[in-house]
Amino acid sequence: MKIVVAVKVVADDQDIFVAGDRTLDYSKAHQVISSYDKNAIEAAAQLAAANDGTVTVISAATSKATDAKLKKDILSRGVDELIMVTDDALATADSFATAQVLKGIVEDKVSDYDLILTGDGSADFYAGQVNVQLAAALGVPTINEVTSIAAEGDKVVVERTLEEEVEEIEVPLPAVIAVSPSIGEPRIPGMREILAAGKKPSTVDELAGGVDAKIEIEEIKAPELAPRKQQIFEEGDIDAFAAAVAEALK
Amino acid sequence: MDFALTDEQELLVESLKEYADRYFDDESVRQMYENHQVSAEAQDAYRDAGFPFMGLPEEVGGIPTDHVTLGLMTEKLYEFTGAMTPFMTGMLACADLAEFGTPEQSAVIMEEYEKSGQSVAALCLSEPAAGSDNMGMTMTSKKQADGTYVLNGQKTWVTNGADVPYYIVICKDEEPARENNKMSLWLVKRETEGVSTAHLTKLGQHTVPFVDVFFDNVVVEESQRIGEAGAGWLLLMKNFEFERCLVVAQGLGLAQAAQNDAIAYAKERIAFGKPIITNPRVQGLIEQNEIMLQQTRHWLYYCLWKLDQGQSINADIAMLKSWGTRAHLQIADNAIEVYGGLGYTEEVRVGRIWRDLRGNMLAGGTCEVMDYIAGRAIPKLYK
Repeated sequence: MKIVVAVKVVADDQDIFVAGDRTLDYSKAHQVISSYDKNAIEAAAQLAAANDGTVTVISAATSKATDAKLKKDILSRGVDELIMVTDDALATADSFATAQVLKGIVEDKVSDYDLILTGDGSADFYAGQVNVQLAAALGVPTINEVTSIAAEGDKVVVERTLEEEVEEIEVPLPAVIAVSPSIGEPRIPGMREILAAGKKPSTVDELAGGVDAKIEIEEIKAPELAPRKQQIFEEGDIDAFAAAVAEALK
Repeated sequence: MDFALTDEQELLVESLKEYADRYFDDESVRQMYENHQVSAEAQDAYRDAGFPFMGLPEEVGGIPTDHVTLGLMTEKLYEFTGAMTPFMTGMLACADLAEFGTPEQSAVIMEEYEKSGQSVAALCLSEPAAGSDNMGMTMTSKKQADGTYVLNGQKTWVTNGADVPYYIVICKDEEPARENNKMSLWLVKRETEGVSTAHLTKLGQHTVPFVDVFFDNVVVEESQRIGEAGAGWLLLMKNFEFERCLVVAQGLGLAQAAQNDAIAYAKERIAFGKPIITNPRVQGLIEQNEIMLQQTRHWLYYCLWKLDQGQSINADIAMLKSWGTRAHLQIADNAIEVYGGLGYTEEVRVGRIWRDLRGNMLAGGTCEVMDYIAGRAIPKLYK
């Protein structure tokens, strides 16, 4: 079983700072695996282990994402191979443009895939659209918010955990499936896997033909901070205070 | 000179952070200190990530690693968990077994780790009347007519001793006399007839069980001896220097955790209308701590680097362990001071770290023994 995971590389949001003019300062933020995609990698690694399969990670990334440590991080998580295509315009590419680039990687390098996994959304925009757009571009079925996957011959049986029930759905392969974080906690890579990661195949190519961007980014700014209310209650006026808290909680 | 970590070392640190975040939240750690052990779940996860195999040779299923990486791993594990854990003691015992044992003896390492993440072996060295004065030990092995040996004696302060499946025991061959310097190492299953333990209550480090072990006519086969007869002490001594490095690395991590807490608190705590971090007296405590952290860290990694170059660190690590473990205690003490009255309560962890760090001044040789070693070695550096 050949499993492909489409992974987004994002700036580590812990180290993005808002400047005085509300613009975002990325200068201290390292490139990391978008957090929900770690769950997708884990699901792929477990599915591959159970079905004698392989895991290939593909990524449409900027040139910043090609640092050796990030690649080893990806390859230390039960992944066999990494294929990246880079273009700095991908930093702000919309879901459609990203899906077109991913489609190109799939058709060029891993056209014999059985299953493509993605996280439900990315840690930055969380649009939750790339899996849908990619499946449409490839002409295969897709399903999202999946919480378990089992392979059965030429199809997979997936579960979606809804509020009141668990849906079980058979999906014919090949297909694109977006998984929810609850599908499984990502493994903690051990030193053995970390040391092996540097020896696994990984390729980085510059994107040929540029990004087909349908939207234009005018500016990205943090929202204005709303001033705090700081309502002061007189001592002893506990009923008014309780009523205000109750109102705020409604 | 290159102070940068490799990608692999940075990723290892990230994995340790993830591990600590998942299994060592405040409530879990509180329970571990109450139950006198790290939870089985946390021990299994440690094994699953392959951490106990770091530094062991490939032949026993280990992941050969340099001393610098092992020191880094220890420091960061202790900083991120803010707790004492049995893992490094367990690793050192396995390292002794892998280095000095036969293939059959060292095979028990992986056999046991396949069952659980529990440490495999504990070293039984000190005795009630033989701590720093090792030659005063009186436990003996006596050869029997049938070729077996009988062990008799008492070991004490056996770190990790309550839970492990195996003990590595050192005792005198035949005669308990002080002048007898022939000692051998033995691999003894805890569940052997005649072996019993009694719990000792420590001031701190409650996550790591600490016991007396009694050997009452315990029969062992010759095949259970680790290494040559009579050579046990020389074998054990080979790893004392590295053990001392790890004691310092543990203390460094815990002291860093105390400093992290103290600074976070000082930024939040308002007194006299301002966060106390702006108060020069508080800044003084924090600066004093930072100096001691940086000093011990740089010296520790220099020692580990020297070990990796095959150089002796006899005097270096003796000085560092003596001075550094005292400095680490002072760091936790200063952190309590930054918290004020709150620091003396169980509501925050700096007091627990302070109690734990007191033990590191004793573990792996007291400060006075370290001073004795360094005191003899330093003049030789000035020939």
